[in-house]
Amino acid sequence: MNSLIQYILVFTALGFALFFLIRKFFFKKPKSDKACGGGDNCGCH
Amino acid sequence: MSKQINVALIGNPNTGKTSVFNALTGLNQKVGNYPGITVEKKEGICKLPRGVKAHIIDLPGTYSLNASSLDENVVIELLLNKNDKDFPDVAVVISDVENLKRNLLLFTQIKDLEIPAILVINMADRMRYKGISLDIDYLEKQLKTKIALVSTRKREGIERLKDLIANYKDLSVEPCLNASEIDKPYFDTLRETYPNQLLYKLWLVITQDVNFGKLTRNEIDALANFKTKSKSDLKRLQQKETIKRYQFINNVLKVGQTIDVTQAKDLRTRLDRILTHKVWGYLIFGVILLTIFQAIYDWSSVPMDFIDNIFALMSEWVKTHLPKGVFTNLISEGIIPGLGGIVIFIPQIAFLFLFISILEESGYMSRVVFLMDRVMRKFGLSGKSVVPLISGTACAIPAIMATRNIESWKERLITILVTPFTTCSARLPVYLIIISLVIPEGRILGLGYQALALMILYLLGFGMAVFSAWILNKILRIKKKTFFVVEMPNYKLPLIKNVALTVIEKTKSFVFGAGKIILAISIILWFLASFGPGDNFNNAEAIVKAENKGKELTQIELQQKVASQKLEHSFIGITGRAIEPVIQPLGYDWKIGIAIISSFAAREVFVGTLATIYSVGNDDEDTIKNRMAGEVNPILGGPLFTFASGVSLLLFYAFAMQCMSTLAIVKRETNSWKWPVLQLFIMTAIAYVAALVSFQLLH
Repeated sequence: MNSLIQYILVFTALGFALFFLIRKFFFKKPKSDKACGGGDNCGCH
Repeated sequence: MSKQINVALIGNPNTGKTSVFNALTGLNQKVGNYPGITVEKKEGICKLPRGVKAHIIDLPGTYSLNASSLDENVVIELLLNKNDKDFPDVAVVISDVENLKRNLLLFTQIKDLEIPAILVINMADRMRYKGISLDIDYLEKQLKTKIALVSTRKREGIERLKDLIANYKDLSVEPCLNASEIDKPYFDTLRETYPNQLLYKLWLVITQDVNFGKLTRNEIDALANFKTKSKSDLKRLQQKETIKRYQFINNVLKVGQTIDVTQAKDLRTRLDRILTHKVWGYLIFGVILLTIFQAIYDWSSVPMDFIDNIFALMSEWVKTHLPKGVFTNLISEGIIPGLGGIVIFIPQIAFLFLFISILEESGYMSRVVFLMDRVMRKFGLSGKSVVPLISGTACAIPAIMATRNIESWKERLITILVTPFTTCSARLPVYLIIISLVIPEGRILGLGYQALALMILYLLGFGMAVFSAWILNKILRIKKKTFFVVEMPNYKLPLIKNVALTVIEKTKSFVFGAGKIILAISIILWFLASFGPGDNFNNAEAIVKAENKGKELTQIELQQKVASQKLEHSFIGITGRAIEPVIQPLGYDWKIGIAIISSFAAREVFVGTLATIYSVGNDDEDTIKNRMAGEVNPILGGPLFTFASGVSLLLFYAFAMQCMSTLAIVKRETNSWKWPVLQLFIMTAIAYVAALVSFQLLH
């Protein structure tokens, strides 16, 4: 039972990670003129 | 009774405008507010020769007639509304003798509104200390005005100014710049549509978002036979106007103003003379850089070791205290080492930005920009390219955005294309971990080899950017050049609060910006390294036992061999093996190959990836650096990270375009996929060849 829960948690985390990266790099438009360094998540560093 | 003359005092902030106002009006002044807004309105009465009186308004300080604040709107609204009771009969434009070039921008704009204008050159007493001399006759002729040299501190020139105001009707109202030069076809149409209106006034109505009384931008837009331009086109024309004005001002000052710095006697000038000297300037800059890089290493080692050990202990704690299973493994072997790979660099990133921030706050950075401008021009870059290239040391994204003020498209394009060569903060973790592995810790003349190696990498990136610009300049054949204006701020002691805020903001952005990506990639990588298809992965233990039949393996040795067998046949192992032939000549194994691919999302992911891959199946609570140092080259034997493979990796990261976000910004700024794709392939090719040659020569 414990093993099953651990597998479910792993695959859930994997799903979230994939969703996050796909959304960030393929669907999210780059932000406008805001300079980097203000928590603008430019993703460059 | 004679008519009272309306006089508007206009000028850039900090030109001593209020001192002139006080000198003219004495105690005859009052302070109120402009109707409906909280901008202060100061007015007073000045007695002029022959019993004439002047009503003087001290308008808020403004740099130009391109309004960006409420204060500046007040100035423009007054100058464009002839029906206003305060509309000036004469404008007195106050300038500061030390910043004449910048101050004249506003003066030429006011002249173009055909309002009689007097130019006051204030703080004239400082000319002697600054080694400045002015040809007043020439300047008056070229600027089509009368000039009063004033020193409010010594109360000199005020009487002449009063005379000039009293005789304002003798002033020329001829403009300095022909407005139609900005865009001839557009202005011709404008003139035809409004034959009775002043062209420059119409232009300001179109471009400024202020209330001009009768004539409004919407009315102009509403006319069927006149099509106004888009906001971005208008912005471009405004930039063109500013450039044309500065070209005019430069030409006038080239003859009318002489600055002999050898005659200057004040502290700032003496400091500038040394810090921007063509030999000493570069030497001092070099020494400052060396000190910074040495300090980054010396001061960061203790907190870095502390952080590294904390993450190793956290991994161990999770393994021993949480229930055994795949999710516990994900946390201890994937997430914690992955995040540790980024958090460990916080001290060095913080120290780097601490020094950069101090240099900026003290005013020294402007001198560096001025120094580098001399170098840039020799390689065909605009002086304006210096700012993006220097700000690229933090991040290429804002640096590429900063190229927008470069007028020439080709110069801008070259700057965009070469800026990613500059060492950004994302490269720093990669450099630091590799340098710590392959460069010895010894010192020469008090400077550590590792600090020197880091500095060489920064210079290499900058050098490559300049060299590439030179090549592109030859290929693209740039003829048109923009000019460069940089204001040298006064030297000052950096404010601790400002420095602290910059360091916190930049460090936070570094950790949280990349942190989420690294966390996501760590999870995926751990999964790909912990699962695999087929018998080779699923029956790894049986296969290892069969292969080692007859040998007496300890439990630990058996576990290590099983972990190695599993990793090799996991999803990531299979992918890594597939790309290994391409990267093997560079001295890398498939694990480094995987790290290079995953770091395409963000360069610093490289360290987190290796930390994750080396942690999978590993029960030791070892640090990232020790794990990497313990890796063995599967083909050549011996350590994987040698001087040859280390230099090869450093060169690869110095030149490769390993950043998806930068490519996206280049696409947006160039409005084409052609340039980012070319940039990606060319930079990767340069990186590959440099890494290949260095490894083959050194190993």
